[in-house]
Amino acid sequence: MKAKFKLALAQISSKRENKEANLQKIEKLTLRAKEQGADLAIFPELSLSGYVVRDQLYELAETIPGPTVKKAEALAKKTGMHIIFGMPELSEKTQATIFNTAVLVGPKGLIGKYRKMYLPTHSVFEEKRYFRPGYQAEAFQTELGQIGLCICYDIFFPEVLRLTRLKGAQLIVCISASPAVRRSYFETLTCARALENTAYLAYVNLAGVQDGLQFWGGSRLVSPSGDVLAKAKYDEEDFVICEVDYSDLRTAETFIPTLRDLRPELFDQLKEYSERL
Amino acid sequence: MKLTMSLLAVDFSEAEKRICRFIKEYVENAGAKGIVLGLSGGIDSGTIAALSSRAIGGDNVIGLMIPEEENFSQKDIDDAKLVAEKFNLQTQICDMSSALGCLYKAIPAFDPKDRLCKGNIKARTRMIYLYYYANKLNKIVSGSSDKSETMMGYFTKWGDAAADITPIMDLYKTQVRNLAIHLGIPKELALKPSTPALWPDQLAETELGIRYETLDLILYGLERFMATEEIANQLSIQKSLVDKVKSRWLSNEHKRRMPLAPKIGFRSVGNDFRLPRHTY
Repeated sequence: MKAKFKLALAQISSKRENKEANLQKIEKLTLRAKEQGADLAIFPELSLSGYVVRDQLYELAETIPGPTVKKAEALAKKTGMHIIFGMPELSEKTQATIFNTAVLVGPKGLIGKYRKMYLPTHSVFEEKRYFRPGYQAEAFQTELGQIGLCICYDIFFPEVLRLTRLKGAQLIVCISASPAVRRSYFETLTCARALENTAYLAYVNLAGVQDGLQFWGGSRLVSPSGDVLAKAKYDEEDFVICEVDYSDLRTAETFIPTLRDLRPELFDQLKEYSERL
Repeated sequence: MKLTMSLLAVDFSEAEKRICRFIKEYVENAGAKGIVLGLSGGIDSGTIAALSSRAIGGDNVIGLMIPEEENFSQKDIDDAKLVAEKFNLQTQICDMSSALGCLYKAIPAFDPKDRLCKGNIKARTRMIYLYYYANKLNKIVSGSSDKSETMMGYFTKWGDAAADITPIMDLYKTQVRNLAIHLGIPKELALKPSTPALWPDQLAETELGIRYETLDLILYGLERFMATEEIANQLSIQKSLVDKVKSRWLSNEHKRRMPLAPKIGFRSVGNDFRLPRHTY
């Protein structure tokens, strides 16, 4: 396992309903990341399909594994890269049950997937209309350490990232499609989630405009002590290479010992009281 | 939350950037060659002219001045020209008096004394001019409705609200005025009393029966689900006035939506056909 490696925050603007064009962009930027010495390229939520696609999701969703994931696996194998991207996932057991999913592939193929647990259905968001929520926090063992995945609105729920961390994640990747009016929330939460879990947090957001909705970009890598180590431009497409160094985890955990100080009995109370809300 | 004008403060540089990006993206995706807008000499259309020019360049924007004899105002024409010059817009004057005269004669039930029905013909005729130019020049029509008048239903259905995009529809009137000043529109023009110009001497605030400063704060409170009683208390105004604004806002939803159809099919237009809006 590498203790230190570079990753690419590939902040793209997806073309709506054009999986081919988006996959080409993913390929191009993965190659660029490789050229610049990175081992991991991260793309935003639903970067394969576009975010504002509404009923067209039924036509765009694919199973995992499926045609797109096969192409992504081939790309990862060819380049020796790890790639994370978002796509609408069609359940293998039904014909119209869809998940909002983050996929992680590596040089040896599909490593894992994470299905978004918290589906925003308020304001301009209508995800529960289309998606079934996931039920599992995920952290995957890779050559780049334990990588946990979450998606956008999940970051508002500390328990998701805490669980991901407790499952072993050293680097938590949050892919996102966050519109501009919510920028300040994410700027706060990305730092808070990294700090409270003493883990690296890579946040990769969409850029550009879809159906009038403007995505603010601002992708970033946050250190285990909550510092923003690298940041992409606001609003526009951008590509930023930055470095993860796991030796920083030990320092952070000693100085901010939140994991040592966890109180499991409070989690029982959380469950009890959240059921009563 | 304390309802004061400071709540309506906006980062106007950020708003300008966001609106310009929106306009540019829409025009490009539509494959259009620019924007047509009605240039009335008022603050809303002046602001749209400035934003459109900044977004895609004044050469790609044409402002139509569409006066008519009953309502003619040289001041409005001069103000419209001032904005056009400042932001380097193309302009065209289209006197619609003869077209209106023909329409008045051609409608068997036309009643010249019914100024609202007659005024609405004017707003809809302006729309015909705008869409003719857009069609002919492969441009899109930009509307200039703001949030205050849109929430109040203070516009002509399929008239001044008819457009492909409405870049300032999420800004209240008082916010538009400040955005206009930020964009470099002369203060005198930015603070000029608004009029839909449907009949002579028509003024928006007189007709609405409320100053925009008060209206905008009421609407801001309603937008955030505040109770009318709370809004009235905070603004030290009669609850009946706030109730009246709320009632007008809610009862005009039909003007802001697609026409309603009875549900019969599997997926229905304007109802549960939920498709992304394609601009190309």
